[in-house]
Amino acid sequence: MANKLSNQDRKELDKFTKFLVFKAAQIIVQSRLGEKVSTQCKPQTTGTDWFNLAVPDLSDVLDETKKAFNGELSLPVCVEISLHTVDGDKMVLECWYVGIIPRFFQQRDSSIRIMPTVYNRMGILLKSLVSVTRVTPAYKLSRRQGSDSYVICYRMYVDEPQLHNLGDGVKHVRVGQICTPIGTLQLSLAYRTKMTISPTQTGRDNTIILKSDHFNTNLSPRHTRYNKIEENISLSDTMKIGAFADTKKSMVEPELIIPNIQFSKLFSEKLSPPSVVVENEVKSTLKEDASDHQNGNSQSDKRTPTITMMSTNDDFIMVELKTPFASVNANSELSMFYQEWQAAPPLKTFNEVPTLAEQDLAKQLETFESDMQTYDDVLKSLCSQSPNNN
Amino acid sequence: MNARSQTFELTMEGRQVDEAVASIFHTVLFHRSLGKFFYTAEGSYSVGTVGYTDVDCDFIDLTYVCCTSNLLDQTIKKEISGFSEMLRGNEGTGMGQISLEFFQKKPSRWLFQPECIPWEVWTIRLELITLNTEDERQVCREKVGELLTDKILYITEVMNRHDYLPKMPNQSELELIFDTSYQDVQPYLFKMHYSISGPSTGTSVGSTMKKLIRETLAL
Repeated sequence: MANKLSNQDRKELDKFTKFLVFKAAQIIVQSRLGEKVSTQCKPQTTGTDWFNLAVPDLSDVLDETKKAFNGELSLPVCVEISLHTVDGDKMVLECWYVGIIPRFFQQRDSSIRIMPTVYNRMGILLKSLVSVTRVTPAYKLSRRQGSDSYVICYRMYVDEPQLHNLGDGVKHVRVGQICTPIGTLQLSLAYRTKMTISPTQTGRDNTIILKSDHFNTNLSPRHTRYNKIEENISLSDTMKIGAFADTKKSMVEPELIIPNIQFSKLFSEKLSPPSVVVENEVKSTLKEDASDHQNGNSQSDKRTPTITMMSTNDDFIMVELKTPFASVNANSELSMFYQEWQAAPPLKTFNEVPTLAEQDLAKQLETFESDMQTYDDVLKSLCSQSPNNN
Repeated sequence: MNARSQTFELTMEGRQVDEAVASIFHTVLFHRSLGKFFYTAEGSYSVGTVGYTDVDCDFIDLTYVCCTSNLLDQTIKKEISGFSEMLRGNEGTGMGQISLEFFQKKPSRWLFQPECIPWEVWTIRLELITLNTEDERQVCREKVGELLTDKILYITEVMNRHDYLPKMPNQSELELIFDTSYQDVQPYLFKMHYSISGPSTGTSVGSTMKKLIRETLAL
């Protein structure tokens, strides 16, 4: 228990913890230098070989660690690894931190040889740290670093880990923990998983110059579809101008503009269900536009002046109602009904009516004139039969 | 006593087998090896320092760490390549398993051989696949690297649970716990065994159980 910990033990424990942090910092930083590490086994442990693990001390790292502590060991302590590009962009890759959770209840495996046990476990923890530092994404990045692309840097601070620098999708790994008489010592890691440098993080203006009207919603097919009733759409309106295109050339030459509104609408509505070709006539699959019916009729009248009854069969715009939640069956019923109604056979009489061109008008007039007497007679007889006339 | 048992199941190309098995077993042995013990006087000893070396894999996107000990590396490599050759050989089904078993010896009694009691077993079950394109190989190279990363993280987690470890012995009993045949490191006593096609239970554990039962009945 904590209160049973002798001064001597307490001193020793603090010393162990301090060297654990020092060696952990060395292991982490050395693993990010971009070189393979190989240290030799030693039969005799010397003064700096803590925890029976051959971790050489780099003086720079040692100084930084001492500076972070400012003379006195305090936890939690963090080692932050970041990537710096030659362009001056920075990205924090990972944050290793050592913390202590104070203990409030009695440790289960309290034994007389507590200090050797803690010491050995610290050794195992550092071995785990050596293994884990080689398998995180930052290790691969650090091996590929170079002065012409990017370099890996480290920073040490005594504070709670600042994990907000690691972006979305941070992964946490607990390297290990050791129960000590003063609490549970934990060595953990949080690392970045999304490796893209976002432009907003950079201080430099390297944004792409975009034409401000390139993404004009008025020109998008979606917009034209919903607003086609009130807008008179022509082919030129639906053409998108490239982001860097010369605006002068964007105007379509007049003879290229198809004057027929109907066809230009078909152009603009590539997103609508595909048009169905029946008997070489385009049956538009337009939906809610009522004006289409009238337009279609008037057009067809001009084109086929002869058989007016038959012409409806071909020229009437087929309306396919695509109701959002209706079953396919209901839709086909409607069109079947429509087809049936439309396909009603025309009277034969009208079929046999000869056209004006085919009829000899002069002959007809002659016939009518020659029959004038007959008509007069009929009229006379009618008049004579009337009682009022007398 | 029951031995702790950990089993990993992996699928990979034949040429990745040696490196994959080595990465797992070396990571385990790195944690299960101490510096050499030097006894100064009865009951007092000093422990040497363990060095470590980074190893880059050729066929997997992975770097792992092992003890800096050529002899230990050779021992491991020899066993693994025996397994790998058998697994990749024509008579094999492309399936097999290899185990790394830590054990301690029971002091030998008169005329009897010392008994080996396993306390931790790490088993890798492998299934081989054949890839035809370079693209597939590249994907597999990364995929196996990711899988092994997870396994290495898991190994470190297990190592830091501080489960049972044999007690530090006296000088006279050192060889019942540790393998003292290496000049630079002192791993816990271990052995490796492998089998091809079809899973099988750890033979050593099985035979120990049989022995235990036999002994119990004899009493």
